[in-house]
Amino acid sequence: MTTYLGNFLLSLSLFFAISQFFVSKKNKFKFITITVNGLLISSLLSFGLLMYSHIISDFSILNVFQNSHTTKPLFYKISGVWGNHEGSMLLWILVLTIFNYFIFKLYNKNNSIFIAKTLEIQAFITTGFILFTILTSNPFQRMFPEQANGLGFNPILQDPALAIHPPLLYIGYVGFSAAFSISVATLTLNNNEKVPWYNYMKPFVLAAWTFLTIGIALGAVWAYYELGWGGWWFWDPVENASFMPWLLGTALLHSLIIVEKRKSLQAWVLLLAILAFLLSVIGTFLVRSGILTSVHTFALDPSRGIYILAFTALLGGYSLVLFGKKSKKYFNTNYFALFSREGSILINNILMVIICATVFLGTIYPLLIEAFTNNKISVGEPYFNSTAVPIMLPAILVMGVGPILAWNREEKSKIFKKILPSVLLTGIMSGLIFSIYQSYNFIGIAGIILAFWIISNNIIILFKQKKNYSSGMLVAHLGIGLLILGITGSSIWQEEKITRLQINTSAQINKYNIIFKEINEAKGPNYVALKGNFTVYDEKKNIITKLEPENRYYPITNSFTTEASIHTNLARDLYIVLGDGNLSEGWVVKIYYNPLVIWIWIGALIIFIGGIISISNNLKKIKILS
Amino acid sequence: MKKKLLILPSIFFFIILSIFFYLLIIERNPSELPSNLLNKNVPIFETESLFKNEKFISSQEFKNEIILVNFFATWCKPCRDEHVYIKRFSNKKGIKVIGINYKDNSKKTIKWLKNLGNPYSDVLIDKNGRVAIDWGVYGIPETFIVNSKGIIKYRHVGPITNEIYKKINLIINENE
Amino acid sequence: MKMNNANSFILKRILIISLAFCITQFFSNISYTVEPDEILQNQEYELRARNISRNIRCMICQNQSIDESNASLAKDLRILIRNKIKEGSNDKEIYKFLTDRYGDFILLKPPLHLNTLVLWFLPFILLALGIYIVFYHNKKSR
Repeated sequence: MTTYLGNFLLSLSLFFAISQFFVSKKNKFKFITITVNGLLISSLLSFGLLMYSHIISDFSILNVFQNSHTTKPLFYKISGVWGNHEGSMLLWILVLTIFNYFIFKLYNKNNSIFIAKTLEIQAFITTGFILFTILTSNPFQRMFPEQANGLGFNPILQDPALAIHPPLLYIGYVGFSAAFSISVATLTLNNNEKVPWYNYMKPFVLAAWTFLTIGIALGAVWAYYELGWGGWWFWDPVENASFMPWLLGTALLHSLIIVEKRKSLQAWVLLLAILAFLLSVIGTFLVRSGILTSVHTFALDPSRGIYILAFTALLGGYSLVLFGKKSKKYFNTNYFALFSREGSILINNILMVIICATVFLGTIYPLLIEAFTNNKISVGEPYFNSTAVPIMLPAILVMGVGPILAWNREEKSKIFKKILPSVLLTGIMSGLIFSIYQSYNFIGIAGIILAFWIISNNIIILFKQKKNYSSGMLVAHLGIGLLILGITGSSIWQEEKITRLQINTSAQINKYNIIFKEINEAKGPNYVALKGNFTVYDEKKNIITKLEPENRYYPITNSFTTEASIHTNLARDLYIVLGDGNLSEGWVVKIYYNPLVIWIWIGALIIFIGGIISISNNLKKIKILS
Repeated sequence: MKKKLLILPSIFFFIILSIFFYLLIIERNPSELPSNLLNKNVPIFETESLFKNEKFISSQEFKNEIILVNFFATWCKPCRDEHVYIKRFSNKKGIKVIGINYKDNSKKTIKWLKNLGNPYSDVLIDKNGRVAIDWGVYGIPETFIVNSKGIIKYRHVGPITNEIYKKINLIINENE
Repeated sequence: MKMNNANSFILKRILIISLAFCITQFFSNISYTVEPDEILQNQEYELRARNISRNIRCMICQNQSIDESNASLAKDLRILIRNKIKEGSNDKEIYKFLTDRYGDFILLKPPLHLNTLVLWFLPFILLALGIYIVFYHNKKSR
């Protein structure tokens, strides 16, 4: 019954999407209203139906059988809906229809042709994704014969951060689809000089970028807390697939400001909007086609790969050829001085694109080598640390001074006066931290100084309380400064202790003395575990905390996980992992002292808040406009 | 900005997509590695033999005939699955089948071979996995074909299936 | 069933030991990244070993180095590297030993060969191009 209903709802969505494509061509408002709402409601219902099936553990549905189990806690039954390929496609479609709806909300009698065109393109994209789902990734397939229970699940997915990060990421990817549609609409229509397409694009870019930021951050949080060795970014192809749209999104966000203020860089922004979404789709391709292996890849299926590739070719081919033909009229001859607000934004854009190109190159290079030679190579973290990371340094440098430079041209003499307070503050902060922690690593020192450079500049602007600075920008930039502080500090000042401990013996790390008190069995809802009890003392013999790392065994999937135990404060994380061992020889224990880690998460959260502030300010502006 | 340059993004895009398309349609396994030892000499190694008293010295053994080298262990389930094909190879005329027992217990291996049948003309012991590393082995079972001049001609990672069995037969025939 | 304190204490101990034993049997094939027994006494050697290990890919894992990985092949390679350092091989020789057997794939930092020229130089070529564009803009704005 459910499968019939689900398939019906999917077909209904397809019907509405195709209809929207055609009625938008004719700019028939009444019909467009029906299709937009129809798309939203049908995809909401189909997604809800799948979720309901997961919640009640309806194992007659193949998707539920493959990915769920009666012992799964409710929260993870729900998040399990999008934790698999087919369910996640349903979520993609839902978010597409939601953004479709918001595009439609911009409709007024002045921009009707423009918005209709945008909706036409958005309908094409939505049709493509719904067709893909129906043809290759249908979540409403029947499981026959019906089993009493499901195939369990991957225990690593039982984590709150991991559970909510996909929806946030999809808001990011799909948000760029709206920017893409607006860009293609702008290029297609000939007499749209009066339509402020950049004003329509901005809220979508803001929303996409903001949620992509927090989505990526949550993925990193999960990796740090779950994977057991304190790392949170691995330059894994799927991580890169989310990072690249983020980089272009950052560039887009900033150059949109120039388009608004100076009517310049329009062609560039139109191209960026196309590329950001194309990268989102190519990222989807890389993850789901089986062309690469990665921790994140879903099950391999070549038919999916061929479909996504064909769809990408269609979208990208059409939009880029269109750009080649029609963008000429959006060029102008405004040039920017190096020392100016526009100049800084130009530098930011160029650097973001170069970093994105580098990450893209590193990610697909193994595939290129494989295609052209008989060889296989790896491009891992050391490559990106040598190329992409150093290029980030000048971007951060410019980010500090850019917002305080004047538009058009800043006089060089004034620059010194403007940056003097922040240079001093940076010096003081850096001096303080280097007196506590030493470092001889060039990039590390640069990273810390640059982090303080950003933080000081933004604190000073906040202090001076100038009204004409966007508060969203200030908060977001401050967040980036804190983020970089956390990233750099935790990388260069990390201390590690690996040792074998018997019960009642201790290990020293930094100023802490950690005593291994006992080992116990522990039980969870669907696992049994061996739990170690450690007490941490500081140099004054005070108890700081108790740490209890676990090694878990999940009978349902016959798999093991290690759960690190972490004590966090503003200065550092103490991170402990229990290894192999026995009562006679003792246990392998790995202890990490990770300075400033929490500032990575705080920074990311503040960036997110800055984004939300910007979105809300932007929405107020739009209300005034329409 | 020259108009001709504007078409560059689309050209670049199509090139990348063609490469992806090519990779999708050829048959490839993204997690499988080509052996770096193909068409190179057999690694030089010495190790104990399970059944024979004398040591196995590679330079003395890998000449004059085609040899199939199979890395296996009793604790490896796919090794058990492919065992029937190894036995078939051992019956084939003109080739010798050598097994290398990876990180295993000798007593268990003897028992395992007794139960399933011993297709190997010699079983070598690789207690700590060093011999496997010398052969570039990364996941057992792995099977190599060495020709009569001591050159490695083929390597398969994973259990031998019917298809692979046929393929290896072809390669053996080519190298006779 | 009534148990006095002494008996329940012993029983609890037995339960813990047996559970620990069972679970360790499951875990006995798994190592937890660099183990205490692997660590070399000589700090300089150990540092070299860690640096090399961070650049060697774990072939049976997803995008991890042998320094981070739990796999048994990773452990074997870690020990092999340390042995070679103790025997006096330099870093280049150790890398060659590994790539001779496993190919360039085992290196996480792609080596600079003819086929990786584009990989290594393109970012910096783009950077130079970017710098040119910025200065061109600056010049034209006057």
